[in-house]
Amino acid sequence: MAEKAPVDLLQGTLDMLVLKAVSLGPLHGYGVLLRIQQISQNRLEILQGSLYPALYRLEHEGWIAGEWGQSENNRRARFYRLTAAGERRLETEAKKWNEFAGVIGSILDTVPEQL
Amino acid sequence: MRTWWRAVIRGADVDAQVDEELRFHIESYAEDLMRGGTPREEAIRRARAELGSFAARKEDCRAAWGTRWLDELRADLRYALRTLVKSPGFALVAVGSLALGIGANTAMFSVVQGIILAPLPFPNANRLVFLWQNRPGVPQLDPSYPNFEDWERTSRSFDRMSAVVFHNFDLTAPGRAEHLLGMRVSSSFLATLGVIPAIGRDIARMEDQPNVLSVVLISDRLWKDRFAADRHVAGRSLILDGKSFTVIGVLPAGFHFLADADVITPLRPNMPAIYAERSVNSLAVLARLKSGITIGHAEAEINTIQQNLDLLYPDANRGTGIAVTLLMQQIVGDVRGTVLLLFGAVSLVLLITCANLANLLLARSTARAAEFGIRTALGASRGRIVRQLLTESVVLSLAGGATGVALAGLGLRVLLAALPQSLPRSENIGLHPEVLLFTAGASVAVGIIFGLAPALQSARPDMQGALQQASRGTIGGSHAILGRLVAMQFALTLVLMTGAGLLIRSIRNLWDVNPGFDMQHLISFQVGLSPSLTRTPAETRIGYQQLLARIRQVPGVESADLTNIVPLSGADNGGPFWIGAAPPASLQEAPHALYFWTGPDYLKTMRIPLLQGRFFTPDDELGSAKVVVIDNVLAQSFFPGQNPVGRTLTVGHWGAARIVGVVGHVRHWGLDDPGTYNPRQIYIPVYELPDAMVNDFFRTLKLLVRTTLPAGEVMPAIRNVVYESSPDQPVYAVGTMVEVASESMASRKLPIVLLGAFATLALLLASVGIYGVVSYSVTRRTQEIGIRMALGADRARVSWMIVGQGVRMAGAGLGIGILAATTLVRLLPSFSRLLYGVGQRDPLTLFGVSASLVLVALVACYVPARRAASVDPMRALRHE
Repeated sequence: MAEKAPVDLLQGTLDMLVLKAVSLGPLHGYGVLLRIQQISQNRLEILQGSLYPALYRLEHEGWIAGEWGQSENNRRARFYRLTAAGERRLETEAKKWNEFAGVIGSILDTVPEQL
Repeated sequence: MRTWWRAVIRGADVDAQVDEELRFHIESYAEDLMRGGTPREEAIRRARAELGSFAARKEDCRAAWGTRWLDELRADLRYALRTLVKSPGFALVAVGSLALGIGANTAMFSVVQGIILAPLPFPNANRLVFLWQNRPGVPQLDPSYPNFEDWERTSRSFDRMSAVVFHNFDLTAPGRAEHLLGMRVSSSFLATLGVIPAIGRDIARMEDQPNVLSVVLISDRLWKDRFAADRHVAGRSLILDGKSFTVIGVLPAGFHFLADADVITPLRPNMPAIYAERSVNSLAVLARLKSGITIGHAEAEINTIQQNLDLLYPDANRGTGIAVTLLMQQIVGDVRGTVLLLFGAVSLVLLITCANLANLLLARSTARAAEFGIRTALGASRGRIVRQLLTESVVLSLAGGATGVALAGLGLRVLLAALPQSLPRSENIGLHPEVLLFTAGASVAVGIIFGLAPALQSARPDMQGALQQASRGTIGGSHAILGRLVAMQFALTLVLMTGAGLLIRSIRNLWDVNPGFDMQHLISFQVGLSPSLTRTPAETRIGYQQLLARIRQVPGVESADLTNIVPLSGADNGGPFWIGAAPPASLQEAPHALYFWTGPDYLKTMRIPLLQGRFFTPDDELGSAKVVVIDNVLAQSFFPGQNPVGRTLTVGHWGAARIVGVVGHVRHWGLDDPGTYNPRQIYIPVYELPDAMVNDFFRTLKLLVRTTLPAGEVMPAIRNVVYESSPDQPVYAVGTMVEVASESMASRKLPIVLLGAFATLALLLASVGIYGVVSYSVTRRTQEIGIRMALGADRARVSWMIVGQGVRMAGAGLGIGILAATTLVRLLPSFSRLLYGVGQRDPLTLFGVSASLVLVALVACYVPARRAASVDPMRALRHE
């Protein structure tokens, strides 16, 4: 499969991606980074520096919950899982995103005859 | 919220966790990179670089939790403490001023809190009231016992009602003889207050009968003192006034109703026979309003009841009205106005303190202009700098507040010792939590309000301008505000000093008033004659005569005799009288006079002038013709232009008597007595008192002794004479007449002591203020002074320029102050009623105060002026 070109992350979408990533199963910070890169087939470049503030912000809001546990290489790591509030949040964010993407898409697809 | 708390409370802990988490990230990433072939060192370096620096990340994390302002506050506090420690002189003056100002306010607030704000220690105390009778011209009369019984039976506005008579007892067993404060009450007294005995039972309803066993409730103190805190004290007995009383219960510790009563007995079994008369004003009536009933409603109802009683008993009651007064108002009374006035005065002291703080901060902010210029240049926002400066001023004011609380504690101890005993509720005054809360609030408010202006000025965005002005070296521009603050301090100080000055002049005028008798070398005291000497009325009379005979033998005693009321002591014993023998239609409509029941030597002992006829002789006793002596006020108003001697005058409840003499009027109600309340005086021979009243009445008599030696030398000998005749005779309430007169001016004592203290503090603070501002301006004008001197100004001229600047500031303040002081005195009746024999704008006081303030300004400016004059022009010009 040919590599597709990388895309820049739109402002405000990092939170949504983090929520999505941990909704698939508890992850530690580094795991979140890997999961997002894996799903996007390395097309999304996430600045590592902005990941942790985002994680702490989401935890502060109560959308994810952090707990200390064992990593795959038997090290102490902090795992994040989605809370019930986080699930609702992800749902509304995704809905908003899809609506937004749909509207923008349909505008971009418009051809002169339709006007 | 949970993460926020965690971050605040366990900051270090959370930091460590974040560290660990980030370290895990870096190591995992580095391992992945190494697996891709990157060498270990390089992998770790890259992993670190991509995550950014640890510290910066953590900052971001904390910002995400919203705890950044707390970190900044911590930094501000650290910085504030450091800068304050670096300028200890500034910090000391600022904290010292604040400590004095806030300390004075704390002490005064604890007085306000203890006397006015704190509720009385009874449940729902705001429903406790007194009921008073009144009649035209006499606003407050004790109700009579029969009226009380009828009110209690018929009224519907009150949950409970109770009669109270203060009656002090002589305790003779168990233990040593002691004079005790006590009360005689109707059975519902404690229930009306909402108090339950700590041990035993309350007085029972059936004990409101005339002929039942005498029972007594005792205080916690007496219980511990006389019964060794025996829990089975009920049933034991006390000998009070020679009669045996059975203890039924113990009052709760700290029980205090108007006084610290040690014994409470039922009124009815021990009631003097004369109290059964409806026209005898004998007791206080305490009642608890029903919930939801206003004072107005209760007053309307009770007056309707009284109107019916007036119709039923016109000869005793006609013309009687009833007033319902809150217990709290009755207790605190006029003192409320005085206390609030003084609280106003002390807040002026706080204002003066704050002016000092603002001055110091303003001066300092100019000196620190460069520091803020640099900080602004480095990117500090204006808000950030203001916050930093506010932190500094709040740290100062809190330190001042804490020191102030310590000073207030000391001051209160001194104040309470100096205060008159008669100040109501003074036992309540102390540094209670409410007071400390007030102090903390006041400190923070002072720090913020008076730190704000200097802070805003420092953080002016135009730092360039600030720097330029700072080097211009004059007191113009924004520094005019320093001069204005000094003027304000002098204005406020003048107001306080004028107030204190007027009061001091008033009290000196009062001491010059002739009270109508000679108060020097005069002692007053009471003796509880032994029960063995007072078994019958005849024995009692003889007992007191023999006691007096012995006292007259004591070396240094010139003369001695008995009286029921001592002038200036506040004691009241008034009643109706009329000219001739025929009674008026209603006793309430008869004129009232003060009754002095005295022995024949009373006039000589008091040195009251005899104007006409004669005073009493030992022959004026029971069985001889009834005689009275009147004062010249009664003589002038009832026998104008006639000779009253030989005419007949009837004393209510006693009988018709022949007037045998006229004596000078005595200022009974105080040296400042305006003569409006019960000014007429009748003297009645005490040995003509009917048998039925003798035993109760003689116990309350006071002995007055005129001495040729100081009281301290004569009194021990008098005590010995009393104890020698019988050891179970307490001697109490000993005091000189000068002390009695001083206590009669108690309502003036508190404002004089406190206003004097506040004025002194204000003067001190204002002189520190003017000194600080003038010497600051000298420092900043060094260059200018150097130029002036280089151009030929001599040293004297420079000194005068500096002194003149200071005196101008003070002078502006004095003008405003005089205006404010004269206006305030006129507007504050709670102050002007304290004045006596001195005008509200007494020129002498105003002149004296202004002159002393100008003097203080001169002295305070002298030191900086000398420094200015000693400036070396060459060095000053080379400066900078």
